[in-house]
Amino acid sequence: MPETIAVDLAEYLPILLFLGIALLLSTAFVILPMIVARFTGASKPYANKLTEYECGFPAFEDSRGQFDVRFYLVAILFIIFDLEVAFLFPWAVTVFDMGWVAWGAMMVFLAELAIGLAYAWKVGALEWE
Amino acid sequence: MIGLGHYLVVGAILFVMGVLGIFLNRKNIIIILMAIELILLAVNINLVAFSAFLGDIVGQVFAMFVLTVAAGEAAIGLAILVIYFRGRGTIAVDDVNRMKG
Amino acid sequence: MTMLESLLVVLPELILTLGATDLLLVAAFSNKPDLGRRVSIYAVLMLIACGLALLGPAGNGGAVFGGLYYADAFSTFSKVLIYASAAIAILMAPRFFDRRGEMRPEYPILILLSALGMGFMVSSGDLMMLYIGLEMQSLAAYVLASFMRQDTRSAEAGLKYFVLGALASGILLYGVSLIYGFTGTTSYQGIGAAMASGLSMGELFGLVFVLAGLAFKISAVPFHMWTPDVYEGAPTPVTAFFATAPKIAAVALAIRVMFDALAPATDAWQQIVIFVALASIALGAVAAIGQSNVKRLLAYSSINNIGFALIGIAAGTQAGVAATLSYMAIYVVMTLGSFLCVLQMRDAQGRPVEDIASLAGLSKSQPALAAAFAIFMFSLAGIPPLLGFWGKFLVFDAAVAAGLFPLAVIGIALSVIGAYYYLRIIKTIYFDDAAAPYAPANSVVENGLIAVTAATVSPLGYLLVPFLALTAGNAAQALF
Repeated sequence: MPETIAVDLAEYLPILLFLGIALLLSTAFVILPMIVARFTGASKPYANKLTEYECGFPAFEDSRGQFDVRFYLVAILFIIFDLEVAFLFPWAVTVFDMGWVAWGAMMVFLAELAIGLAYAWKVGALEWE
Repeated sequence: MIGLGHYLVVGAILFVMGVLGIFLNRKNIIIILMAIELILLAVNINLVAFSAFLGDIVGQVFAMFVLTVAAGEAAIGLAILVIYFRGRGTIAVDDVNRMKG
Repeated sequence: MTMLESLLVVLPELILTLGATDLLLVAAFSNKPDLGRRVSIYAVLMLIACGLALLGPAGNGGAVFGGLYYADAFSTFSKVLIYASAAIAILMAPRFFDRRGEMRPEYPILILLSALGMGFMVSSGDLMMLYIGLEMQSLAAYVLASFMRQDTRSAEAGLKYFVLGALASGILLYGVSLIYGFTGTTSYQGIGAAMASGLSMGELFGLVFVLAGLAFKISAVPFHMWTPDVYEGAPTPVTAFFATAPKIAAVALAIRVMFDALAPATDAWQQIVIFVALASIALGAVAAIGQSNVKRLLAYSSINNIGFALIGIAAGTQAGVAATLSYMAIYVVMTLGSFLCVLQMRDAQGRPVEDIASLAGLSKSQPALAAAFAIFMFSLAGIPPLLGFWGKFLVFDAAVAAGLFPLAVIGIALSVIGAYYYLRIIKTIYFDDAAAPYAPANSVVENGLIAVTAATVSPLGYLLVPFLALTAGNAAQALF
C-alpha cells in the first residue's frame, strides 16, 4: 500500500527551517564570545595598548577625535526622554475624542517619566563632573 | 507599482544585515548596538508595511512601542558598555579570563 | 466591565508599578543607613501583597482591556511561582552584596520591575503585550546581571546577556511581525482563528522565528550559549533569580502562545519542541561533566531541566501542560535551594568560592549543609524518592500518554547520563579528602530558607503532591 508508506516530506518543513536557522545562528554565536574576549584583553597580552579603548573608540583611528565617557551618560538620558515623548503625538490628536481616561493615562505616564527624571537628578546622573 | 513584497524584501535585507552585523563585526561593541537597532527597524518596516496594506492601525501602534523599547534598550546597552570599559581598567586582566566561552 | 473592575484585575501589576516607582524615590532621597536592606524588606512585602491580590479578581477575572490581558488559573499559578522566587532572590542578596558594599536599594527595585514584566508575560493575550512584558523583564535583567559595577566578570556577563538577549528579542519580534502580517491580527484568539484554515508560508516562518526567540529566553539548545557565561559572571543571587523566575515566565509564555495562538499549528511546533527538548537534555547532561565551577554546572543543569519541562509541552495535551507546570514548580524549589547552598560557599575571609573541588570534606565541617546540598543534587538528578523524580515522572507519563513513546525512552536514557555529574558533586562532598573549610553559615534567613526548600524536595514533599496536581491541573485546564 504505497499511500501509507509514502512520507509527505512537506510535513518536515518546519523542522528543516528551524534547523537551518538554528545552525546559522548557533555557528555565529561561537564567534561572538571571541569578540568579547578580544575586548577583555584576553587574546592580547599588551594591556596598555587596550586601555586606549577606555572611551569606546580605538585610539589609532584618531581623525574624528575621542569622546569623553560622560557624553554617553548624557546620550543615555537623552535617548530615553526624547523617544518616550513619541507617545504624546498620537495621544495629542485623539485626546479630545477619548476623554478623561486618555487624559488620565497620559498624566500617569508623564508622572512616571518625572519620577525617573527626579531619580536621575538625585543620583547625580545630570552632573557633568 | 511598489507592493507589499517590496517592503518585506527591504525588511528582510535589513534584518539579515543586522544579524550579520552582530556576528561579522570585529571592531567595536558600539557597532553591535547599531546592528540591534537595525534589526528592530527592519521589524518596524514590516509592521508599518503590513499595517498599511491590511488597513489595520494595530501595526503602527506596535511600531510605536517597538521604537520606544528600542530606545530603552539602546540606553541600557550603552550604560552596560560604560561600566564595562570603566571596570576593565581597574581589575586585573586574568580575572576576566576566568570565564571561558 | 468598568475601568475600576479592570484595574482590580491587574492589581498585582498596579502594586508592583506604584511600589517600584515609590521605592525608587525612596532610594534616591532617603538618607537612612542600611537603605538596601530596608528597601528589600518593603519589596518582599509588596511581592507578598501581590500574591494575596491573586486571591481576588486578579486571580480569575478573565480577559480585560479588550483581551490584552488574561487573569486565569494559568496566570495565577505562574505568578505565584514568579513572586515567590523573586522574593527569595531578594532575601538571599544582602549578605552577598554587603561584603563588597554593593547592597544598593536598586537591587530589590530591579527585581520588582522584572517581576512586573513577567506578570505581563504570563497574562498576555496579545502579541503586543507579549513583547512589552518580555522587554520589561529583560531590560531589568540586563542591569541586574551587571549589578556589581566593580567586578569585570559581572560587567562582561551583563554585556553578553544584553547583546544576545537583544538579538533574541529582535528575532522574536521579526516572527511576530510576520505572524501579524499574515494573519492580520495580534490577538492570540484572532491568530488561532486565522491559522485554523491552514498554515501559510509566512505564518510558518513567523512561528519558527517566534519559537527561536522564546528558546533563547528559556536557554534551550541550540540557543543556550549565553547561559553558562552569564550564570557564572552574574552575582550569585542574580544567577539564582535568572535560573528561576524568568524561566517560569518564558515557559508559561511559550505555553500560552503555543496552546492559545498557535494551537492549529500544533503539528508544526511539536516537532521543533521535541527536537529542542531532547537536544537540551543531552547537551545539559554531557557539557556539565567537565565543569569545575559550581555556577557553570548549575547553568548546564538548568538547560538540562528546561529540556525535561519541554517534554510536557511536546506532548501537546492538557495533561502535558499540567506536568510541565508541576515540573517548573518543583524545579524552582530545587534550584533556589541549590543556589542558597552555593551562597554558603565562602572561604575564611568571607569571599565567595565557586570551585566544586572546594566542596570536599563539607560532610565533616558542616554536616547539615552537606546533607541539604546532597538532597538538592539527588533531587535534580531525579532519583526517587526525592521530589525531583516526581516531576520527571509526570512529564514522561504525559509524553507516553500522548503516544510519544520514543521521546520518553530517549529522555529517560539521557536523564541517566545527567545523573552522573550530580552524583559527582555528592561524591566530592562525602568521600573526597577535606579541603579548607568554609566560613560558618550563620544567616538565620538563608539557613531557614535552605531548611524549607530541602524539606520540600525531600520525600516529605510528596504530601504537597495532591495540592500541586490540583492547582497545576486547574491551570492547564484554563488553556483548553
